[in-house]
Amino acid sequence: MTDALVCQDLTKRFGRHLAVDSISFTIERGEAYGLLGPNGAGKTTTISMLSGLLRPDAGSVHIAGHALTQDPRAAKARIGYVPQEIALYPELTGRENLRYFGRLYGLPRRTLQNRIAEVLDLVGLTDRADDKVGDYSGGMKRRINIGAALLHEPTLLVLDEPTVGVDPQSRNAILEGVDQLVAAGMSLLYTSHYMEEVERVCKRVGIIDKGRLVAEGTKRELVSRLGTSDRVELVLDGDITAAAEKLRAVDRVTEAVPTGTSSVRLLAEGSRHLLPSFIAAVEGVATITGVEITEPDLEAAFLHLTGSTLRD
Amino acid sequence: MLRALLVVSGHELRSRLRDGTALLIALVAPVALASLFGLALGGEDPPLRASIGIVDLDGGDFPTSVRREALATEELQDVLTLRDYADEEQAGAAVDDGEIGAAIVFPPGFSDSVGAGEGGEVTVLTSDSTPLAGVIANSMVDQISALVEARTLAVRASLDAGVPADEVRLFVEENGAAGPTLTLDADPMAGGKVDVAVHYASGMAVLFAYLVVATSTRSLLTDRQLGTLSRLRVAPVPQWTPVVGKGIVGFLLAMTSVCVTWASSVLFFGLSWGDPLAVLVLCGAHVLAATAITMLVASNARTDAQADGYNLGIAFVSGILGGSLVPLYNLPEFLQTLALFTPNGWTSTGLASLAAGGDLGSVVGPIGVVCLIAVVAGGLAALRFRKGLLG
Ligand SMILES: Nc1ncnc2c1ncn2[C@@H]1O[C@H](COP(=O)(O)OP(=O)(O)O)[C@@H](O)[C@H]1O
Ligand SMILES: [Mg+2]
Repeated sequence: MTDALVCQDLTKRFGRHLAVDSISFTIERGEAYGLLGPNGAGKTTTISMLSGLLRPDAGSVHIAGHALTQDPRAAKARIGYVPQEIALYPELTGRENLRYFGRLYGLPRRTLQNRIAEVLDLVGLTDRADDKVGDYSGGMKRRINIGAALLHEPTLLVLDEPTVGVDPQSRNAILEGVDQLVAAGMSLLYTSHYMEEVERVCKRVGIIDKGRLVAEGTKRELVSRLGTSDRVELVLDGDITAAAEKLRAVDRVTEAVPTGTSSVRLLAEGSRHLLPSFIAAVEGVATITGVEITEPDLEAAFLHLTGSTLRD
Repeated sequence: MLRALLVVSGHELRSRLRDGTALLIALVAPVALASLFGLALGGEDPPLRASIGIVDLDGGDFPTSVRREALATEELQDVLTLRDYADEEQAGAAVDDGEIGAAIVFPPGFSDSVGAGEGGEVTVLTSDSTPLAGVIANSMVDQISALVEARTLAVRASLDAGVPADEVRLFVEENGAAGPTLTLDADPMAGGKVDVAVHYASGMAVLFAYLVVATSTRSLLTDRQLGTLSRLRVAPVPQWTPVVGKGIVGFLLAMTSVCVTWASSVLFFGLSWGDPLAVLVLCGAHVLAATAITMLVASNARTDAQADGYNLGIAFVSGILGGSLVPLYNLPEFLQTLALFTPNGWTSTGLASLAAGGDLGSVVGPIGVVCLIAVVAGGLAALRFRKGLLG
C-alpha cells in the first residue's frame, strides 16, 4: 500500500520570511506522526500546504498515492483536515454543521446520515446534536470541530494543535478520541507545542524549528541522541543570564538556557556528580536554591537539537 | 462539480432566508419605498396646480386667443393659472422665485409677422423644480408652433397664388378674431406623472439590487472569519465553488427583489415599465453588474463589516449619481457625466426609454455597457480572489 502522506521539499515564503524551508517527511498507513515545535515554527503553514489551503512555493505532496497538484480531487478526498481554530457555523446545530460539511464530500444521503450518527457518538455529542453550536462549551466545539473532518472516513487525519485553549477534562476527552482513531488504524498527523501530547499520541516525531525539520524519529531515537544526558533544572537567586553563561562553560554541560525569571535549564552528562561544579560556576552572580534532575525525554531532546526551550 | 455548487448554493440560500434583515432589504424595503412614491405620484387628480406666466410684447390677437383657448380647455380649467408680466426679465424672476412654474414670451410684432406669412417664435422659460408646469407650457408652445407653421404656409400659398396682400391680411385678421384653435393633449400632466412614478419604483429596484446581492457576496468574508471557508477549500470540490455558489444565490435573490418591486408597481399602481422581456434582460444585466461589483468589494475587504460599509457607500453613491433617487435631468451637468460610470445610470436611462415605449432593440446600448461593467469588475475580482481568498 502507498504511504498515507509523502511530502517532499515543501517550501513557503511570506515576503522575505522563509516560513517553511524545504521540509520532507513520510507518514505510513496507520502511523501516528507528530510535528513538534514552538509557536511560529511553521507547523500550520506546513499543514496548510499539504491539505491544499496554501500553494507551496516549491515541493510536492502525495496523499495515499495521489499528487495534490495533479489530482487535487482524489488527494483531498482522502484528507480530513481539522483547523487550528474552530471552524463551524454557530447559528447551525451540530448535526446541521456535520451534514453540510459531509455533503461537500459527496456522501450519499443514507451513508451520510449513518456517518453523522457514528461521528456524533465518537465525539460524545449525540445528545447535544440538535443544539446550536454557538451554545456549545469550548471543549464541545473542539470535539465537533474534529468530528467534521471524519465524516468521509479519510485515510489521513490532520490535526493542528487540537487542544489549545481547552480545559484539562476536554483535552483528555480529545486525546482519548484520537487514541481510539489511531487504534482503529487511521493515519494521523498531529501538530502541537505540547511535548506530553505528542509523546502520548504519536509513535514517530518530527521536530520543527524556524521552518526546518531539524530531527525525526521515534521518541526513543530522538532521546538517545542525547547520549546519557540528563535535563537539569536549577533554581537560582541572582543574575540568571550571567549564571547560564557560566554554567554553559562547565565541562560536560551541552546546553544551558534561562527559563522564566529564576531558573536555568541545562543538559549535562552525569549531572549528579556535577553539582559541586555548578555551585562553583555561579558563584558571585547567583546562588543555587533548588535542583531538579529528570531522565532524558523529548523536551530534553528538543533543547539539545534547537538550543531553545519549547515553551517559556 | 454541479453537485458541489448545489450544496454550497443551497446552504447560502437557506442562510439568507433565515436572515430577517436580508429579507427586509430584498423584499420589504424596495416595495415599501416604491409604493410610497406610487401613492405620492399616482391617483386620479393632479395634485399640483400649475401657474404659467404670459409676457405679451405683441399686443395682437394671437396671444389673446392662446390665452382664451388654454383656459377653455376642459382638463386645464381647474389646474392652470395664467399671470401677466410686463417683460421677459420680470417673468424670469418670477420663475426663479417659484411664483410661476413656466412662462411664455410673445415677441413684439408676433401676430403681424405670422399674419404676413413670415412665421414667428415664442420663448419659453421653465424651471427644473416645477416639471409639471414645464410640461403644460411646452405642450402649449408645441401647439402654437404648429399653428404658426400652418398659418405661415397658408399665407404664403395665398400670396403665391396672386391674392393681394391687403386681402390676405384682412382675411387673417377676421379669422384671427375667432382665434386659432388651440388643442392640448387630453391630460398633459398624466404622462409626466406616470414617468416619475415608474422612475422612482425602478430606481428603488435598481438601488436595492446592490444591497441584496451584497448580503451573499459579503458572506464569503463571514465564512473566512468563521474558518468555514477553509473547510470548503480543503474539500474535493473545484476551487471556485464558494465564490460561484454564493454569487448565483446573490444574483437570484436580487432578481427576485427587482421582480417583486416591479410586480408591485404594476399590480398596485397600474404602472407599466414597458416591454417585459426588455425590462427583464436589462435588469438581469444590472444585477449581474451588481454581483460583479460586490464580488470585487469582497475580494478586497478584510472583514464582512468592512465590505458592508463599502457596499452601502457604492450602492448609494451610484444610486444618486445614476439617477435611482433623483431623476438625472435634475442633476448638474458634471454629475450627469459621472452617471455614465455607474450601472445605475445606464439601467435607469434604459428603463426610462422602455417606459416611454421602447423595445429591446432600443436598449441594446445600455445593456451592452452594463454587461461590460460586469465583465471588468468580475475579471478584477477573479484576479484578486486568486491571490487572496482562494490563494
Ligand atoms: N499569512 C502569513 N503571512 C505572513 N507570515 C505568515 C503567515 N502565516 C504564517 N506566517 C509566519 O510564518 C511563520 C510560521 O507560522 P505558522 O506556520 O503559523 O507557525 P506555527 O503553526 O508553528 O505556530 C511565523 O513566523 C508566522 O508569523
Ligand atoms: Mg499554528
